[in-house]
Amino acid sequence: MPRLTVDGSTIACADGQTLLEALQAAGIGVPHLCHDARLKPYGSCRLCVVEIDGHTRPVASCSEPAAEDMVVRTHSPALERLRRTNLQLLAADYPAAAVTDQPELPLHRLFATYGIETEDSHPRTAPVFRDDTHPYLGVDMTRCIHCGRCVRICDEVQGQSVWQVWGRGSQTHIAPRVGATLLESGCVSCGACVDSCPSGAIYDKRSPGTAERWTRTTCAYCGVGCQMDVGTRDNRIVQIRPADAPVNRGHLCVKGRYAWEFVNAADRVTSPMIRRDGDWQVVSWDEALDFTAAQLRAIRDRAGADAIGLLGSARATNEENYLMQKFARVGLGTNNVDTCARVCHTPSAKALKEMLGTGAATNHFDDIELAATILICGCNPTECHPVVGARIKQAVRRGARLIVIDPRRIELADHADLHLALTPGTNVLLLNAMAAAIIEEGLVDADYIAKRVDDLDAYRAFLSDYAPEAVAGRCGVPAEAIRAAARLYASHGPAMCFHGLGTTEHLQGAEGVMCLINLALLTGNLGKAGAGINPLRGQNNVQGGAHMGCDPATLPGGQSFQQGAARCEAVWGKPLPSARGLNLMEMTDAAAAGRLHALWAFGYDVYLTLANAQATGASLAKLDFVIIQDLYLNETAKTFGTVFLPAAAWIERDGTFMNSDRRVQRIRKAVDAPGEARPDWWIIREVARRVGGDNGTLSPHNSGERAGVRGFDFDTPEAIWDEVRAVWPGGAGLSYARLETENPHWPCPDEQHPGTPVLHIDRFAGFERAALRRIDYIASPEQCDEHYPLLLNSGRTLVHFNAGTMTGRTPDIELQPTDVLDISSEDAERMGLADGQIVRVVSRYGEAELPLRVGPSVQPGQLFASFHDPRRFVNRLTSPVRDRLVGTPEYKRTAVRIEGMDGGV
Amino acid sequence: MAVASEEHAHVASFYHLRDEVQGSAHACRGLACFAARNDDPTLWQAAQREPWLYCLGQCHRAPTSGVVPGPEATVRVQSRAPVLLERIVAGGATNLDAYRRLGGGRALEIALALQPTELVQRIEASALRGRGGAGFPAGRKWAAVAQQSAADKVVVANADEGDAGSYSDRVLIEHDPFRLIEGLRIAAHAVGARRGYVYLRKEYPRAAAVLTAAIDAAHASGWLAGLELTLVIGQGSYVAGEETALLNSIEGRRAQARLQPPRVAEHGLFGAPTLVNNVETLCAVPWIVEHGAAAYAALGFSRSRGTKLLSLNSLFGRPGVVEVEFGLALRELVEDIGGGLRRGELRALMVGGPLAGLLPPSLLDTRLGFEEMAAIGGAVGHGGVIALSDDTTIAEVAAQIFRFGAYESCARCVPCHRGTPRIAALFERALRGERGDAQEYRDCIEALAATSLCGHGRGLAEFAASLERHFPQELAACLA
Repeated sequence: MPRLTVDGSTIACADGQTLLEALQAAGIGVPHLCHDARLKPYGSCRLCVVEIDGHTRPVASCSEPAAEDMVVRTHSPALERLRRTNLQLLAADYPAAAVTDQPELPLHRLFATYGIETEDSHPRTAPVFRDDTHPYLGVDMTRCIHCGRCVRICDEVQGQSVWQVWGRGSQTHIAPRVGATLLESGCVSCGACVDSCPSGAIYDKRSPGTAERWTRTTCAYCGVGCQMDVGTRDNRIVQIRPADAPVNRGHLCVKGRYAWEFVNAADRVTSPMIRRDGDWQVVSWDEALDFTAAQLRAIRDRAGADAIGLLGSARATNEENYLMQKFARVGLGTNNVDTCARVCHTPSAKALKEMLGTGAATNHFDDIELAATILICGCNPTECHPVVGARIKQAVRRGARLIVIDPRRIELADHADLHLALTPGTNVLLLNAMAAAIIEEGLVDADYIAKRVDDLDAYRAFLSDYAPEAVAGRCGVPAEAIRAAARLYASHGPAMCFHGLGTTEHLQGAEGVMCLINLALLTGNLGKAGAGINPLRGQNNVQGGAHMGCDPATLPGGQSFQQGAARCEAVWGKPLPSARGLNLMEMTDAAAAGRLHALWAFGYDVYLTLANAQATGASLAKLDFVIIQDLYLNETAKTFGTVFLPAAAWIERDGTFMNSDRRVQRIRKAVDAPGEARPDWWIIREVARRVGGDNGTLSPHNSGERAGVRGFDFDTPEAIWDEVRAVWPGGAGLSYARLETENPHWPCPDEQHPGTPVLHIDRFAGFERAALRRIDYIASPEQCDEHYPLLLNSGRTLVHFNAGTMTGRTPDIELQPTDVLDISSEDAERMGLADGQIVRVVSRYGEAELPLRVGPSVQPGQLFASFHDPRRFVNRLTSPVRDRLVGTPEYKRTAVRIEGMDGGV
Repeated sequence: MAVASEEHAHVASFYHLRDEVQGSAHACRGLACFAARNDDPTLWQAAQREPWLYCLGQCHRAPTSGVVPGPEATVRVQSRAPVLLERIVAGGATNLDAYRRLGGGRALEIALALQPTELVQRIEASALRGRGGAGFPAGRKWAAVAQQSAADKVVVANADEGDAGSYSDRVLIEHDPFRLIEGLRIAAHAVGARRGYVYLRKEYPRAAAVLTAAIDAAHASGWLAGLELTLVIGQGSYVAGEETALLNSIEGRRAQARLQPPRVAEHGLFGAPTLVNNVETLCAVPWIVEHGAAAYAALGFSRSRGTKLLSLNSLFGRPGVVEVEFGLALRELVEDIGGGLRRGELRALMVGGPLAGLLPPSLLDTRLGFEEMAAIGGAVGHGGVIALSDDTTIAEVAAQIFRFGAYESCARCVPCHRGTPRIAALFERALRGERGDAQEYRDCIEALAATSLCGHGRGLAEFAASLERHFPQELAACLA
């Protein structure tokens, strides 16, 4: 730890710090404009210069390593004169109005500190880029001081390289690399340049005044769990900025940074409503809650608790999901509780839990920088998990090798050493072939296997049918490419695997994940840094929803009934229901069969998002009672809802989310919910109390009630969370107090425990050795034929989030107005279709109309559609095929044909 | 520099000659042409058209343009031993046979038989210092790269002879190209490099043609075996002559100086340990290898050993390239070797390029040496010697230099990007009789000297310092 003398005092600093960092850490303010802690030193503004004994000239502290025994002066008269001169030079052609309008900006504050007046005596001769076309970012480069922060953050953090320095000398100016506007430039609208710009040359267009209060919270778009600061004024959001947290390191994507206006949408429902005679009627909370409770009681009395299904929400907090499943189990007495994890990553949880003992990502995001090889299988991080995608891109630039397994040419494929563009649905074939090649070529980690892995011999024998040469034709990937991927993954470790819904949303989804785990076991890529099997969770709290027990077979903490039943019964003071619960897909089946009578969904548009919408609709239509708790009348509410309970948005309430890499992170209320909208936990508590009596448990079923049992008597999310910590040993150490300053990865059994960023280091969860799983490939029943010759894939895009409920009510729609259907130029040409043309897509199950986008991202014979726009309703196309083990629909493979809108083609 | 696509248009926009055909008709705006502008005012007027061309390396017959053919510079050896010019004086050698016939190639044979460490020691013992201007001991530079363990290392010849007024590298390349190649090959052996680059400025079309043919011939004959040598032609940038900026330029980036550390010897071209030497430095290597370090160190004086090429401009009675030993008095250079001025009286002497100091006639007794020149606020630089006669005022020189400085600024740091055009404008107004604000001028110069990111801004400040020191009255007349 170097010690320096600064302005006569001694300071200590951390090893490896620059002098500027050391000074900042010691609270010594040195002016700077081109420095940004997220970026490499650049040394252009020359304001951070200091005098160091032994140096003949002042030294830029931003690029000088702090060293032992340095004697430094930071504010000598000579230095202050130099700073004033350089600031005066910047002010020579700087618009005076900018300073008056926004005195708080870093450059303007320095002008004020040094008494600098702007001049207009030196007009700029260089071209000046201005742009007002983007919905979020405004550009006026008359304010540009050429500090290069926009250029560097776009390059070094986001990896897009949109901003570039043009020209030289007095002609130097900053403008996009390509295109006349930002919209044409390849900009991904992450706002990093805005965030870094010290002069407002690039600015947020929608900031009505400056924030008077900043609230730290967790982003609600995707499972990365970025930390953000929400700026508010007069109870309205005026700006969101990225926070410097371990997960996102001062970065956000377009959704997190900009897509907040949905909270103020005109169609936000802010009063409880009951549908009577087909019309929605506004009612009081008491009426809505009493009605809801009475209906639930009546149905339970009439048809039994198992005639009711409850759905947790991947967008709601851990506390709310916990409360929902608790209400199901001890308020109503049914295990019929699930979440939308069922339709995304339950296959991952199933495979990881069964094979390794813990149903969650094995490693954490900081391992991206440690991985020598990164394997991407069926996920598209730069669009769906953009901050992680950006980190992967930077890792690859620094030398990490990259394998992409994806039918589409996703952005990361352009950066990859190998892109295996397999036929959708053949993951098991391809991954088995990689395993076969690894074994055949002697690339297994024999020591690791000897210590920790079982069944290699049987597995080797099983793989004899899966040599790369034998499967290449069926999975559409050349054998040599499969072998090359196998060699790279096995020999250039540590190798870190990320997978997504392209792996899980298939007939063999969970089994596909098991095949990935097999690869990691064979090569020793489990239980160490820079490795592992890591599902990229789609929604902000989809990990937490299921982990809190919104899963018919899982109790809070991801515990099986065997692991957790006694603990839960002790805390809850009631026996758990014994009947096996229905999962989400089984609930729709039961509804169709008339066995399920009521459904309660919150933060979840079931009808729009389940596959095979026609069948979904037929099921939902049979329900007697549908409770929808949401911000808007979503498609499920519109068509099937009986009661609508208006909820607070994530930014209007407190609680915690659990991200993809097993961190529990706080969300905090930044603005008040509008009208009568209430936090989900409050609504669930109120219904539970009304169903069960004062504390929610005094029902005819609660004969086992004991003193000290809380029931639903919670006044704060923290109180709920403390009960979670009591029933989940691995989360006991994660108190709210602790989460104020750190976010340890669970398991974290006590408050002194540092958390567990990497699972399975010495042993798997609950056992010493893991067994390889022999998984035969089974072709999907969903096959092309002469009537349905094309394979449709579906998924997310950068700008929009899932059902579009939130992003569809923000200016994101200017960036992408609707869903599009990607088609190869070969197919488009063959069928005589043009880019932008609206076509009718027909599957065996339904049809949808979509505008075409002709391009290189999909292979001939395949199509890809996003599913964000309820008007397009792409799930009218998807099939009834489900994962064999956990029921997840096969969203990623539907045989379709295209018809021109006149019925031709 | 091979950047043309839309994707890289922003990089190309840094280089002002990107769209110029090599050898185009452009008139030269270099300092020798400036010094001789009154000999052909029409041509000088043509030189004001953009893009500005700062030195075609035809200073011996300035003012010139790119197409007017003219006689090559006279070449003379005034040192005790002809280290650099022997073969050129004998008529030069642009094919490998002629090169060998005139003694070329012997050093390479000797060098390849030596251990790399012995070679490095020989260069260290010769006391050879970098001829690009900084005068850094060449042997230390070689040793720093040689001791790197990386498998991939690079040697680079800096042929971006950017200092307006010097053209000796051009003469070396055009008439004895294999000497440079031999020097590079020896350096590659010494430091363990298998890849080499020559970065040549675009303003030298004939040198490009000669060197292209020579490199092809050297590859084809197997003479270069073990070194893959590539010629890179610059696209117009003075700062590209700074070694880290030069590496950025080869990598297809803006030619801006890099922050150091990491040093180029550890992390240079595309991250590989890299040796960058000037053409003249590398051309001295074969002689040192062949004749021994002691023979070389015996030449010269003080801490400046060996010989130096000087480029004399057209105002001298006898312009041309001359090889001299360090220790030569400037007066002897001007009056005897240069033959005095062919017209007018000597107003000032500029030795070592535009950023080196401007020297008054009263200091002609100074002897040529790195430290000796620095002591009077001047520099050896790259050996350009421009005599300015009494038809040029000091304010005119200052305006010319700062306009050049502003034009070539990479614009990365504030004092250079913003300060130099203001100072240029101040001197240009002074030429019209307006006085500039003395405080603003001195503040700008101080910021330029103390806070510039690279040698470009600092050099301009040093030029300004020489005005304060040697021409205070002339400067004062520009300021209020």
